[in-house]
Amino acid sequence: MGLLPDEIKAAMQGVIPSHVVTCAADGTPNASAISQVYYVDGDHVALSHQFFNKTKRNLAENPHAMVWLIHPETFDTWDLELVLDHSETSGPVFDAMDMQIEAIASMVGMKGIFKLKAADIFRVISVVKTSGERIRR
Amino acid sequence: MTAAADDQDPHVLRELIARSQETIDRLNLDLARRTNDVRIIQQISSEITSTLDLDEVLGIVLGAMERVLGFQHSMLLLAEPAGDTVVVAATRGYGRPSTDARVRIGDGVIGVVAERKALMRVGNIGTSLRYLQAIRARMQAAGQAPAGEAPAALPGLPDAQSQLALPLLVKDRLVGVLVVESAKPNAFDDLDEVVLRIVGNQAATAIDNARTYRMVDQLGRLKRFFSPHLAELIIRGGADDPLKTHRREVTVVFLDLRGFTAFAETAEPEEVMGVLREYHAEMGKLILAHEGTLERFTGDGMMIFFNDPLPVPDAGRRAARMSAEMQERVSPLTAKWRRLGYELGLGIGIAKGFATIGGIGFEGRWDYGAIGTVTNLAARLCGEAKGGEILVSTRLAGEIEDIAETEELAPLTLKGFARPVPAMKLVRLKPA
Amino acid sequence: MIPDRVFEVLHGPAYMQIGTRDAALRPSHTLAVGAVVHDDRETVTVFVPTARARRILADLESNGRVALGIALVSHEAYQLKGSYLSTRPTDASDLARQETYRKALLDDALRVGYPDEIARPLTQGFAYTPGTAITFRAEQVFLQTPGPGAGTPLA
Repeated sequence: MGLLPDEIKAAMQGVIPSHVVTCAADGTPNASAISQVYYVDGDHVALSHQFFNKTKRNLAENPHAMVWLIHPETFDTWDLELVLDHSETSGPVFDAMDMQIEAIASMVGMKGIFKLKAADIFRVISVVKTSGERIRR
Repeated sequence: MTAAADDQDPHVLRELIARSQETIDRLNLDLARRTNDVRIIQQISSEITSTLDLDEVLGIVLGAMERVLGFQHSMLLLAEPAGDTVVVAATRGYGRPSTDARVRIGDGVIGVVAERKALMRVGNIGTSLRYLQAIRARMQAAGQAPAGEAPAALPGLPDAQSQLALPLLVKDRLVGVLVVESAKPNAFDDLDEVVLRIVGNQAATAIDNARTYRMVDQLGRLKRFFSPHLAELIIRGGADDPLKTHRREVTVVFLDLRGFTAFAETAEPEEVMGVLREYHAEMGKLILAHEGTLERFTGDGMMIFFNDPLPVPDAGRRAARMSAEMQERVSPLTAKWRRLGYELGLGIGIAKGFATIGGIGFEGRWDYGAIGTVTNLAARLCGEAKGGEILVSTRLAGEIEDIAETEELAPLTLKGFARPVPAMKLVRLKPA
Repeated sequence: MIPDRVFEVLHGPAYMQIGTRDAALRPSHTLAVGAVVHDDRETVTVFVPTARARRILADLESNGRVALGIALVSHEAYQLKGSYLSTRPTDASDLARQETYRKALLDDALRVGYPDEIARPLTQGFAYTPGTAITFRAEQVFLQTPGPGAGTPLA
């Protein structure tokens, strides 16, 4: 079944941006927004990588990441502790992500310009629902 | 559920039971939904495979999307024979139908699904578009203008947030695309995907069969008028729909048998049919070989034209070559018929001009017709031609002079033509 | 040292997130609910729900490294990186700032067209009291708006 509950899938549709924190080898953390975290299976997620940025550079030095997700309807939030497992430039996960990016890019005339360079596959180490953050009416 | 339970503590127990019940309820709901969906799928598939009528199949599929599966907005697009677009063939839930709207393979969700032949589910279209538009704006501001143009308005909801599109495939060949969409983000889930995949599979085969059936039916009809090659081209979309009225400059060839009327009056009916059959068979072979369009034949008279429905660059030459070969082919036949006591000869008239062309007739009985001065001229020239002669309007002189030897005639006075018509005789084809 | 525009955004309707890391370089994350830049234009105080502060305070006290990402709904975004200075519970004036901040977030979300039933939970739904104020010295500022120039140091 895996660590990721079914209910988290809605938070992985990219409706509300997620956040990712990574850390360079020199110990400097980096906090960044990401459009979408992709569900791979019960124990894996993927981040898309279009530009070579600090997040990517940090992951090359240090595979740990913390990702924050929010559900677009219930507004529940989760912290996902992740470890980079490997990067893919082909295969079903890459293709599914690539297709989506290509479709949207084509709608704004950016086909070929905005494209998936790689799919970074992470192992989920822990999933914590942080509903304590929410003010419940 | 891993908390160690002190089974002596009623409060903890109650908590555990409550949580278990929630899980059980959720699983039951899920199972009920799955069972219901299986039943629905069975029902849909039996309906879909019960008919070969394309419009009925499309209606059943989209009706099922709406009534049974609860998808309010759905569309079916079919692959075009030319292969670079898919065309909206049926819609449901849009108020104004946008059938005939086209999507280029590779444009948007639908276009990419058609290109990759893989299912796609997107739940964040608005968010994604805004994100990319922001990047694009910055690229433009930085002087890095992205090369591409956004495609012209794509069919469907103008502000769709969620789309689920799947390719309809028969053995890896794209038949079309089935799309459901919603104005709400994250509207579709895993189970929707599963259900749609199954229905899509059924729909693909049913639609493909219905399309093939329709094509074969059309092909049968078209083969009455056109060579099989041409008929197939029309079906596949290589030529325009011939039955739609249109104007075209065509080269018309009229033939009939001199002495046929007298022969028909005096000979036995079986003999008349025999001659006709032989004549039609030979003429028919040549019409097919030169890819002419047989517009009509009435007894011994036949009208053929070139440059419609398929445009050709050398209509005049084809007409000339075909006519010369017809005379050649009929020569042994007329010799045979003479030995049997019948004086028959083939006269041919060729003219060039604009005609109005299209379907003539009524529901259940359409014929392909051409109307214009050019057809009258070709018929009159044919009437003037003696057995074995080919008379050609001088309008074609430039076109055929390098392949045929011609002899100019004195202008002919023809019924229905106010002034004498300049004409020439096609004597023979020049050796190649 | 903090550029004018970044100063503006830090006091405006920006979504804020803090990144820290532990001794094994494992990152942690929390949302911040409001911030204030001190007069020296280098020191920044962010407000974090106390329920979330524990983990990041442990990180901050052990290595002092902190990153603060801020982003407007238009995708305009910046990142500050620096060193942890101190912490204290939030007081009444912090609370007042936080109320202003939260109102600004809500107004902004409504302004760009989010319907009320999304704008409200999205911007008002995060617990902010009891709160912990975390103060750090900003040492680097980066442009983080997606597109050309993302990652450019601004200070």
